[in-house]
Amino acid sequence: MSSEHHKPPRQIGGELVIPILSVGFTIYFFMTIWNSPWTAQVSTFMIGGILLLVCAIFFIRCAIWLSRGEGTLGFGNLFTMDDFRTGRIGLLLTTVGYVALIDTLGFTLTTFLFLAVSMLILARGKNAVFITMISAAMALTGWAVFIWAFDARFPRGWFETTMKAVLANG
Amino acid sequence: MDSSTASILTEVFFETLGYWYIIIPTIFLGLIVGGIPGFSAANTIIILMPLTLALDLQSGLVFMISLYCAARMGAGIPAILVNIPGTAGAAATPLDGYPMAKQGKGQQALAISFVASCIGGLLTTIIALAAMPILARVGFYMHSVEMIVVMLFGISLIASIAAQDMVKGLIAGFLGLMIGSIGTDVVYATPRGTFGFLELYDGVPLIPALVGLFAVSEAFVIIEKRVIVNHDGEPKAPNWGDTFEGVKIALSRWVHIVWTSIIGLVIGVIPGAGASIASFVAYQQSRSFSKTPEKYGTGHPEGLIAPESANNGVTSGTLVPLLVLGIPGGATAAIMLVVMQFHGVSFGPSLFENQPTVGYGMFMAMAVSYVFMFLTILPLSRYMSHVTTIPTIYLAPMIISFTLVGGFVPREYMFDMYLALAFGVLGYIARRTGYHVAAILIGVILGPLLEKYFLWSLKKSDGDIMVLFSSTLGNILWVAFALSIILPMVFSMRRKRKLEVPAE
Repeated sequence: MSSEHHKPPRQIGGELVIPILSVGFTIYFFMTIWNSPWTAQVSTFMIGGILLLVCAIFFIRCAIWLSRGEGTLGFGNLFTMDDFRTGRIGLLLTTVGYVALIDTLGFTLTTFLFLAVSMLILARGKNAVFITMISAAMALTGWAVFIWAFDARFPRGWFETTMKAVLANG
Repeated sequence: MDSSTASILTEVFFETLGYWYIIIPTIFLGLIVGGIPGFSAANTIIILMPLTLALDLQSGLVFMISLYCAARMGAGIPAILVNIPGTAGAAATPLDGYPMAKQGKGQQALAISFVASCIGGLLTTIIALAAMPILARVGFYMHSVEMIVVMLFGISLIASIAAQDMVKGLIAGFLGLMIGSIGTDVVYATPRGTFGFLELYDGVPLIPALVGLFAVSEAFVIIEKRVIVNHDGEPKAPNWGDTFEGVKIALSRWVHIVWTSIIGLVIGVIPGAGASIASFVAYQQSRSFSKTPEKYGTGHPEGLIAPESANNGVTSGTLVPLLVLGIPGGATAAIMLVVMQFHGVSFGPSLFENQPTVGYGMFMAMAVSYVFMFLTILPLSRYMSHVTTIPTIYLAPMIISFTLVGGFVPREYMFDMYLALAFGVLGYIARRTGYHVAAILIGVILGPLLEKYFLWSLKKSDGDIMVLFSSTLGNILWVAFALSIILPMVFSMRRKRKLEVPAE
């Protein structure tokens, strides 16, 4: 029983993110089908209705926890300063950069840059030579297997175009 | 089976064995393409179409079938080791496979998965061969009403997953179903919930959803640990003991393999149904009738066997309508149809009279592939399992880069990579705050199918909801569905009562 008293309060703020997103999305969804034929409405009104109901139950439950002091509106379970220390925020930013740049730079070059930068962030700058080598090896293997051998539909850029010309001319 | 059929089968079997030089390399190719989200047997056969068409008919068929089987099995490998299903058909595999890997039992889990896949695939191939005329009729009896119940069998898995926190589980499941409803409705093509993006008019593409919810979010979570294996999981040095232990565990549950693979076979026979439905239904049924349902989701071998044997059962099932009726049961079967038609093969019942070596040859190629897969892949489980001991600072970026680009491949829209990233953020929030990503994914995968069959039923009956109870087979399935929900509750109550008796 005593351990119950020492338990840190539940971080309800983080737990509320998905229900709030769900309610917002469901309301938006209903707005898009309000004047549509019944075929577009019937199942989504049913599913959305149940989703809103379940979310309402969750909100009531959260309100009870808050009123009893069993939880706070904190986001500690979702975001902490540890996310900077572990490199998670850095990894997120490099991932966004990867998606944004791959269309311009192509798969191979962007993958190399992404792997090298994100691994360096996660390793806090250690083993830079090894990381650079492994990133280059992975990116080149990806190019060789998927683009050169299988002609897969990966985003292509300067490196792929150059290599294609080089290989075509022997 | 008369003596002439038996002699044809024997002849074709030995002839197919002679194609080992095609089957073995194709198995390894299949494992790779099956393991990477975005790639699949279907698009690999399309990419290699010039090669397939250049080969003689028998070699081309052996190549396609081996690739199909191996890709199905390969999809389970990353699902077990890094919680990333290679295809939607393996989406139920990590529910118990990944917890095993985290406990340091990755090698054992792989062995269980390989044995379940090979036995399930081999057994259903034999059943399909023997019961082809009966199985071919299943597709005729399964209309939209019956399919609704089949979908509900799969969707009811949400409730099982939600068992720990019902409200949060249901929020995740119904959010998935709502996301699955994005796109145009199947009757009047009215766009719904698309945020104005034309790319969403066809609905939410599955691969970006799979990549984001499982791979990207997992990569952001695993960096908290040095390696995937838990501290108390003790990564072991490679040893044959774990592989043999896995084989033993799987073989001791042979009955389980048999009935879950038959679920896969029957669902595979239905055109339009697929491995994802089969694996969710098999997992749910396995859990419902288990004596230890509480162990599911914690690394229970039966929770791994069910989806793996079911999704391999689907492979032989999809061949039945293709060969007997000329109706492909799935995307890969449709591509096989194109290749076979190029070689002048005509489908239908006459196939087995005019070209029996082709008809039976496809099933034999499947059987031989599973035998070769068992012999070649099982020994590799001891090496594959070491993925779980790679430091996450290297593993996480590799997972993100190769799976995100896999999200791009099926439709070649940059939008799909952004979508995968958005699902990754959603998946990460869900994991950190106690919502089950598998429940969201079940909704995204099965939701649109359920809606499609529901609308077709209502449209055919002019909006009369009673159409859902209008067919005999449908009503039998409704009863079976109700029993599958009620009986486990009854069993559970009985077990609790039995446990309470000695305490008193």
